[in-house]
Amino acid sequence: MMNENYQQDVDQILRNAQELRAQVGVDFHEKLVEAVYTDASYLADRAVVRPEQAPRFDLDRTIDRIVTDKRWGFVLMILLFALVLWITIEGANVPSQMIASVLLDTVHPWLKGLAAAINMPWWLDGLLIDGMYLATAWVVSVMLPPMAIFFPLFTLLEDFGYLPRVSFNLDALFRKSGAHGKQALSMMMGFGCNAAGVVATRIIDSPRERLIAIITNNFALCNGRWPTQILIATVFIGGLVPAHLAGMISAATVVGVALLGVGFTFLVSWFLSRTVLRGEVSTFSLELPPYRPPRFWQTLYTSLIDRTIYVLWRAVVFALPAGAVIWLVSNITISGTSIAEYVINFVEPFGLLLGLNGVILLAYIVAIPANEIVIPTILMLTVLVTGVGGGEGAGVMFDLDSISDTYALFQAGGWTLLTAVNLMLFSLVHNPCSTTIYTIYKETGSVKWTTFAALLPVGMGFALTFVVAQVWRLVAAV
Amino acid sequence: MPEHKTKHPQKIILTDASGCEGCPAHNAANLLKLGVDMKDWDYVVALAGNPNTGKSTVFNALTGLRQHTGNWPGKTVTRAEGGFEYGDARYKIVDLPGTYSLLATSLDEQVARNFILFGQPDVTVVVVDASRLERNLNLALQVMEITDRVVICLNLIDEAKRHGLTVDERRLARDLGVPVVPTSARYNQGLDALVEAIHEVATGKVRPKPRKVETHSKILKSAVEKIQAQILQLYPDLPNSRWVALRLLDGDEDIIRSLRNGELGQLVQLEDAAADPHQILVKEGA
Amino acid sequence: MPHSLITLLIGLGAIGLVGWFFWPDTGLYSRLRRVRRLTSRVLQEDALKHIQKQELSGRHVTVLSVAGALGIDTNAAIQVLTELVESGLIDHNGEDYILTQKGGQLAMNVIRAHRLWEQYLAEHTGYDPSEWHSQAERLEHDFSSAELDELAGVLGNPVYDPHGDPIPSSEGRVFDLDAIGLHELELNQFARIVHVGDEPEIVAAQIEAEGLLPGMILRVSEKTKDRVRFWSNGEEHLLAPIVAASISVQPLEDDHLVDVDQSAVYLDQLEEGQKGRVVQLMPRLRGAERRRLMDLGMLPGTTIAAELSSPLGSPVAYRIRDSLIALRNDQARNIKIEPITDEENHA
Repeated sequence: MMNENYQQDVDQILRNAQELRAQVGVDFHEKLVEAVYTDASYLADRAVVRPEQAPRFDLDRTIDRIVTDKRWGFVLMILLFALVLWITIEGANVPSQMIASVLLDTVHPWLKGLAAAINMPWWLDGLLIDGMYLATAWVVSVMLPPMAIFFPLFTLLEDFGYLPRVSFNLDALFRKSGAHGKQALSMMMGFGCNAAGVVATRIIDSPRERLIAIITNNFALCNGRWPTQILIATVFIGGLVPAHLAGMISAATVVGVALLGVGFTFLVSWFLSRTVLRGEVSTFSLELPPYRPPRFWQTLYTSLIDRTIYVLWRAVVFALPAGAVIWLVSNITISGTSIAEYVINFVEPFGLLLGLNGVILLAYIVAIPANEIVIPTILMLTVLVTGVGGGEGAGVMFDLDSISDTYALFQAGGWTLLTAVNLMLFSLVHNPCSTTIYTIYKETGSVKWTTFAALLPVGMGFALTFVVAQVWRLVAAV
Repeated sequence: MPEHKTKHPQKIILTDASGCEGCPAHNAANLLKLGVDMKDWDYVVALAGNPNTGKSTVFNALTGLRQHTGNWPGKTVTRAEGGFEYGDARYKIVDLPGTYSLLATSLDEQVARNFILFGQPDVTVVVVDASRLERNLNLALQVMEITDRVVICLNLIDEAKRHGLTVDERRLARDLGVPVVPTSARYNQGLDALVEAIHEVATGKVRPKPRKVETHSKILKSAVEKIQAQILQLYPDLPNSRWVALRLLDGDEDIIRSLRNGELGQLVQLEDAAADPHQILVKEGA
Repeated sequence: MPHSLITLLIGLGAIGLVGWFFWPDTGLYSRLRRVRRLTSRVLQEDALKHIQKQELSGRHVTVLSVAGALGIDTNAAIQVLTELVESGLIDHNGEDYILTQKGGQLAMNVIRAHRLWEQYLAEHTGYDPSEWHSQAERLEHDFSSAELDELAGVLGNPVYDPHGDPIPSSEGRVFDLDAIGLHELELNQFARIVHVGDEPEIVAAQIEAEGLLPGMILRVSEKTKDRVRFWSNGEEHLLAPIVAASISVQPLEDDHLVDVDQSAVYLDQLEEGQKGRVVQLMPRLRGAERRRLMDLGMLPGTTIAAELSSPLGSPVAYRIRDSLIALRNDQARNIKIEPITDEENHA
């Protein structure tokens, strides 16, 4: 069959096809689609019996009028999103503490006891239990509850059909920065988890707008970074004002940082669409599907299972090795000094230039796999470096319940208000966590865009903290 | 668990090996290339449809919770796979990406199109939204150009009813020449009939005779006929020769490649082996 | 403390330097990459193209014309021509440089590359039409013919480039457009512009000033030996036959009739609650965007109703074939419609 004759016949057919296409003309594709639609329209007309007159009350239209209203549309949107965030943060508190008390306060000592009972060598015990187990447990207790609350709520809104209306309302804003209205949704998902936000960009079918949404998703402050923001805001910013205002001011600070992230999203989107991504195809289409009552329990159930599996997968794949590294760098010593201290001393000048310090930079390097362990790592490393009391030993991450104790520890580490502000900024603007980087690679299939998406924010973070630090010092000196 | 799984097994009539009625028609080798292993399955069913037609609801309702999700070999497109048993046969269901068309202008469309063409699924179920029939038929008609083994799942009839629309599914089935099953997957309605229809088409009990789209442009029509005649000279049994002619006129690279390397010819042979000597008429309605 | 001021300045300088180096398109890095490309291969291929163009329009090839076309000095032009003669791509017949068969083939290949890339840029990228040509000028030299075949495959083996110029096949065959000059078109026959000539410049300028583009539909209302009068897009145009001759048109079949005399109304002008019928997707809508709209059922004759406006005015959701599809105003501006009046609606 694959002989020469066959190839000649095929070539002849292909030549004829090309020649005939020249005759059919440039609107070939149009003619094709028209032919199919003419038929579809004929068939549908025959099969569908429409009501004599339009129903007096159209529920879909009525809902649409309300949710896209010039005034109430935006108000409703903000209220709903605030409600989702509030339920997430409030609702996650209790289960987070419960999981933490079980995994960190009960299972961890129990494992230590077990290791001691079977005479496990100290290094193996440290590496496995203090390093790997603790990091994994930490990630699970911090991430699982908010994720398991946040995403099912979103899925419900999606199933109902509300989310496309959000894109519809916000598209005009996103269009100005060269992005697609659907980016509003991937951005909101990003507040839960950036990796999930990156996956959510699949709904954007325009290549340029999708890349913009992927690259800028990192500026949505994810669940893993909220604890850092909340702690630092409470300890440093809340401490600046009278006690009765402290709670409000620190909350406002965190919201301010999140809004700054939204601002960066627009700014970077604008920049990208006019420079590096100018040549990518841009299209717009948005279908507003009919409203459908969501299947509440089923959605809740599947969404919950999905997120739990996802968080556990991430904890095992990314946090486990990170825990090992944290323990190892703090415990392997060369002539009496741990690797961690060498690295911290080495990057300290650079850290100070950025208004941060060596401990923070090292914490961010080892916490690339999971941002939620930044704070416990910083606390542990600060104890290691300063040698002040507290903590649970080299390489063992911990948390402090008392704000004043935390403040005292930070002060011992030489922290100032500038350090705190820049840590909050750097936590917002730095490289995505490794799960997100991995997801970006899977979604774009491109090493180039993955590298770009990883390096752009960290470059921006360095520049931002640097400028803030120098200006701060300049102003302070005057 | 959906009812159809526990239903009393239907007898599948198997004739002797030569006239193998009810034998699977899918292309196992190509399917493996497309990432679907048919080792433990008898039939493969592709699920196509517009986005937002409740396609995944149909998928979940058919497969229960035993679904496994995986990724397409492509870049961004996710695919779900699952299965169910009916009678003595095990059916694998592949959920294709939701698309508006199959003219292969996007990756999703290319993936869905190539699966139906080269995988030669035993049945392709097109999930259509009863309340937006016209636009959904656009896809169904395109699927029916590629394969005859089509079942239309007329989904969301509850929603159509809510908008005061009624769809005459018997007339639609007669016009289209393929089984049409009205369903409301989210309320688990009509799924038994859907499974039954899938089974009938897969086993060859029902042989759909799909309507082919009329081209109104004279120039286009004559161009298609010329190319079609040449293709039929090469492959007299090619079932979708007219569609192949159209794709060649459009310069579709996948089709050109499969014509060059003879893959298209292998599809003919498979379709031929499964061909039924006795003509069975289309059962109207469902 | 002046210390931190100095640090700040140095730091800002460093940031600026990095930005200046890596800035897309105009940064030093991009410039360096571009300069590297101006090799002798590029010059040779450009010279071949120039020679072929001159041959086709019956003009002479001189050292000066080559130098002018390539933007190099005469010494460099002589150098390029000498190289071409040495490699047997052109001959010098005493007064003129002419292409050898080999040279002609190579020139055809470069033209194929150029037009394929223009088609690629038009269909698969977001670059503005004004950038297609200059980008294609750079891309045409960089690829082997196997790579070009692959590109053609991805593009669906196109026969025309976005300007309506034929793309030579890999064997160098050109499929001539099945078109006639506008001056040959019969009275009252509807036709679509498929190609607009770009030579001579004065004619091209006039056509451009009239706003005539490939894809537009027209109807001739008067033809004398001095002028051709025709309607397109709701405007009446008047051209000298010689100008009309450089516009190629394809007569349309009856089912394509479009009311070209009517003043044009576009979808974005439809008020909320009003209905219209799609007349044409304007040629400016192209590539993936055009196909997506067609897949959604936005085709000539389709009824469309403006149903819902977003709070900021754009996008607007339209009811089309029972679905609610949101379009931005700048998209709707490219969809020509015919409003449906109330009486017609009730009838």
